[in-house]
Amino acid sequence: MAIERKPEPKWVMVVDADRCSGCQACVVACQAENNVPLNTDAIFNQKRAHEWIRIERYWVSGDPDKRPDEVDFKNLKVKFLPLMCQQCENAPCEPVCPVYATYHNDQGLNVQVYNRCIGTRYCANNCNYNVRFFNFWEPVWPETLRNQLNPDVTVRSRGIMEKCTFCVQRIRRGDRLVKRENRDFKDGDVTPACVQSCPTGALAFGNIKDEKSAVAKMAHDDRHYRLLEEQGTGPNVIYLKKVDLHAAEDKAHE
Amino acid sequence: MAFTRKEFLKLAGGTTAGAAILAACRPNVREFLVQSPSRLPEDLVNGIDNWYATSCAQCGSGCGVVVRVIEGRAKKIEGNPLHPLSGGKLCVRGQAGVQALYHPDRVRRPMKATGARGSGNFAETTWDEALAAVTPKLNEMKGAAAGSLLIVTDSLNGGLGMVAKRFAKAMQATHATFEPMEESALKAAIKQTFDQELLPDFDLGRSNFILSFGSDFLGGWISQVRHSRGYGEFRQGARKRGTLVQVDSRFSPTAASADEWLYVKPGAEGKLALSMAYVIIKSGLGDAVAARALTGGRGAAALEAYAPEKVAEATGVEAKHIEEMAKSFAAPENQPAIAIGGGAAGAQTNGVFNLTAIYSLNHLVGNVNKPGGVIFNPPPPIGDGTAAADRIAYAAGTSTSLGEWKKIVDSMKQGKVKAALIRNADVVHGLPASLGFAEALANVPTVVSFSSFLDDTTYWADWVLPSSLPLEDWADVPMNPGPGYEAVTFQQPVVRPFRDTRGFGDLLLTLAQELKLEKDLPWANMRDVLRQQAQKLHQLRRGSVTGATFEEFWGKLLQQGGWWDTNARVLPVTFVNGLTLTNPEPEFAGDAARYPYTLLPFQTVGIGDGRLAHLPWLQATPDPITTATWETWVEVNSKMAKDLDLREGDIVRIESPAGAIDAMVYPNPAASPDVLAIPVGQGHKAYGRWAEERGANIYSILDPREEKQSGSLAWAATRVKMTKTGKWKRIPKMEGSVVPIDFSNKVKVTNKDS
Repeated sequence: MAIERKPEPKWVMVVDADRCSGCQACVVACQAENNVPLNTDAIFNQKRAHEWIRIERYWVSGDPDKRPDEVDFKNLKVKFLPLMCQQCENAPCEPVCPVYATYHNDQGLNVQVYNRCIGTRYCANNCNYNVRFFNFWEPVWPETLRNQLNPDVTVRSRGIMEKCTFCVQRIRRGDRLVKRENRDFKDGDVTPACVQSCPTGALAFGNIKDEKSAVAKMAHDDRHYRLLEEQGTGPNVIYLKKVDLHAAEDKAHE
Repeated sequence: MAFTRKEFLKLAGGTTAGAAILAACRPNVREFLVQSPSRLPEDLVNGIDNWYATSCAQCGSGCGVVVRVIEGRAKKIEGNPLHPLSGGKLCVRGQAGVQALYHPDRVRRPMKATGARGSGNFAETTWDEALAAVTPKLNEMKGAAAGSLLIVTDSLNGGLGMVAKRFAKAMQATHATFEPMEESALKAAIKQTFDQELLPDFDLGRSNFILSFGSDFLGGWISQVRHSRGYGEFRQGARKRGTLVQVDSRFSPTAASADEWLYVKPGAEGKLALSMAYVIIKSGLGDAVAARALTGGRGAAALEAYAPEKVAEATGVEAKHIEEMAKSFAAPENQPAIAIGGGAAGAQTNGVFNLTAIYSLNHLVGNVNKPGGVIFNPPPPIGDGTAAADRIAYAAGTSTSLGEWKKIVDSMKQGKVKAALIRNADVVHGLPASLGFAEALANVPTVVSFSSFLDDTTYWADWVLPSSLPLEDWADVPMNPGPGYEAVTFQQPVVRPFRDTRGFGDLLLTLAQELKLEKDLPWANMRDVLRQQAQKLHQLRRGSVTGATFEEFWGKLLQQGGWWDTNARVLPVTFVNGLTLTNPEPEFAGDAARYPYTLLPFQTVGIGDGRLAHLPWLQATPDPITTATWETWVEVNSKMAKDLDLREGDIVRIESPAGAIDAMVYPNPAASPDVLAIPVGQGHKAYGRWAEERGANIYSILDPREEKQSGSLAWAATRVKMTKTGKWKRIPKMEGSVVPIDFSNKVKVTNKDS
């Protein structure tokens, strides 16, 4: 019996910056799901904290003619931006890997194969978004805390590069589910940990080839843009800009 | 732990019996209602995960969660998609619940003190020995004078609160609850403004305009997940995008997310709110009937003293700004609008005045108990008795104000307290040091702690009887505030106790049997207490769970993680209390000449008030504004820091009339030059490897000043001075780890609806 091949889905995340309140729920949800090494104070001081998804905080001046550090304290604003691997279509990290540890799979994911990685760190150097993290040390958990580790996710050892996978273990579960039920993906079949926890609903995830999916609709929102898209990386994360009631004063991009 | 893996699996199999499975593999709503086998060998099958519904007890909100359990181990906590508060979502603190469970420094088994009190030297012992030693001591208390026994717990409600309360009553003990930054002032204000005993729900998702005073509702205040869900809808939901104005003395995460941040001088929030009320009434906006009721029929004239130009100086907000804000708050196109207040606004000596003024604005725009406004909460239909007051007491729990704590400390110092039982209340760390709680505790002959961690207070204990953590224990959690209708979350043990611990409720009931208190505490264990309450829910035959037999109902109740009835709401009420204009002036400890800055302690989204400082994920959670982690920093206005020649990381001495601490400078461009904001929660002497000897304890330098009407701690009413120490330390923070990508000017967007 011939097995009918369904078209592969293409996974896309949409980040609505207008909903994001910077609460960090996604950050810890990701660490809990993906066995990310503990970020101690020493690790932070070495500037080597692993946060596969992090919240960028930008100071924004309320006065278009002045820089944020020049205005009065009452006239400052902040924008939060959750940032994770953009799963670029034309990923700068991929061609520089001498051992093909990072490559593009047919679901549009930029995949990191841990047991190929030899730790050259070329990929992290070439990443435009600073979302790749290198294990400078063997990750250590106290023995009891290892009980929490997710058995679906590899613990990366010293000398290995790691990054956001769009929770590929959950995608694999979804693959098996749709195969078993012999149907196409629909919204909710696959939910990465960050999307699942996000209390404000700022994150959405789905198959953009499916026109009925939430991400396909959101991708056409007036506010959509992609990070550093002018550099041609073709990110698969779509951002929806934060609405600024004082945008009329914002002349910088006109 | 001497037993083998095989033995463990056997044991684990025994306990998870009774826990009802939520759904296999993933939280699939379709499978929620499928009755599972009551004994669950599935838990122990390699590679198969099960999801159990329970309640998150990392903070007091009572969100429903589902826990992924594989081979008897809890792996991940997610929000329960069916639950009215969490709706499938969860905050940082809830996520970290698994780290408490498997914390390497958890107390393994009962312990007795071996060295001097407070030395932290303990020897492990058995439950039999520990209970045999503690029970006779408690037996002596039975006949002793009232108040000889002191029971200190965290704020308890539901069945556990009932058991603790009954135990205390039968033993003629003093039952005190302790939370470092409790909200007595807020409760008093809600009572005065709305005549409600339970905290209300804020329907942010259906609101068009949020005016928030001091309440950092996106940064952990009261019920972060509920508020955040509402906020998401408020921003980009099906309705028009709402406008958020945050009035705050600190640039909090909520202020950062707001469309407009209004800096207000600490303690002047109430005046500002009254000034807005004045503008609204004067310009004829809002509900005229409510305006008359609020002002005793005098209208704007009653608030003449709060006209914008008269309070501009005191509040630090320009008169025209006050006028603008008031008019947009009450403008018809912005309805429904909601005013909320809390946090620092209530933590002043005039906190209740501030909060009643703020919440009264809701009456003016007529949104009380209406969609998009302040929604009242009915007590769930369970309790220690059936009268409304019993049900309210069951849901509200108890809280002990600072004023009452002072009396308790006095009676301890006078030697009236002969024994103290303490659970999950780190009073030594959290009470202002000048009250001398540690010394008073040294005066108590017997101290028994039920904490699962060696916190600063447990260090002073003679006996440690570790109680199980929420993921290992039973409870029912009537949420306060609830979702606006009758609702109660049920907490079931999802894993077997990881250490040799027992549930606190079970322990109290065991002790009650030993002490012959069966008349007051007739239950064998907490599960029986809960089943008795569940019987009441079963008999109602309404709500989210029903069942032909009680056993069927009980199984479904645990599968779903609780019971709620979206139709059981508080009927519309027309109560409008007149504004109380007494005690408008805040008072501060320390004169302004010697102590030039107001100290503004705040809770970070991670470790909160310090009770979660033992968890590494939460310690490592960057504060959204500063991105700092793991330490105690002080936010100093950047320009002022430059003038004072302070760089980031410079260690300064922060001195109040009550004491001094050291903290690292973080120059914050959005900090007011009058205010020094410092995160609370660090500075534990003990509490496990990730909390001990880290940062500084802000509570220790707070002046024990009370809010005038409610007696709660006015934690934002201390003034401080700052001096350089000449030392420097690197601030562990996320900022600067990577090159920022400036995204802000990439596309032009305006608000289509405004």
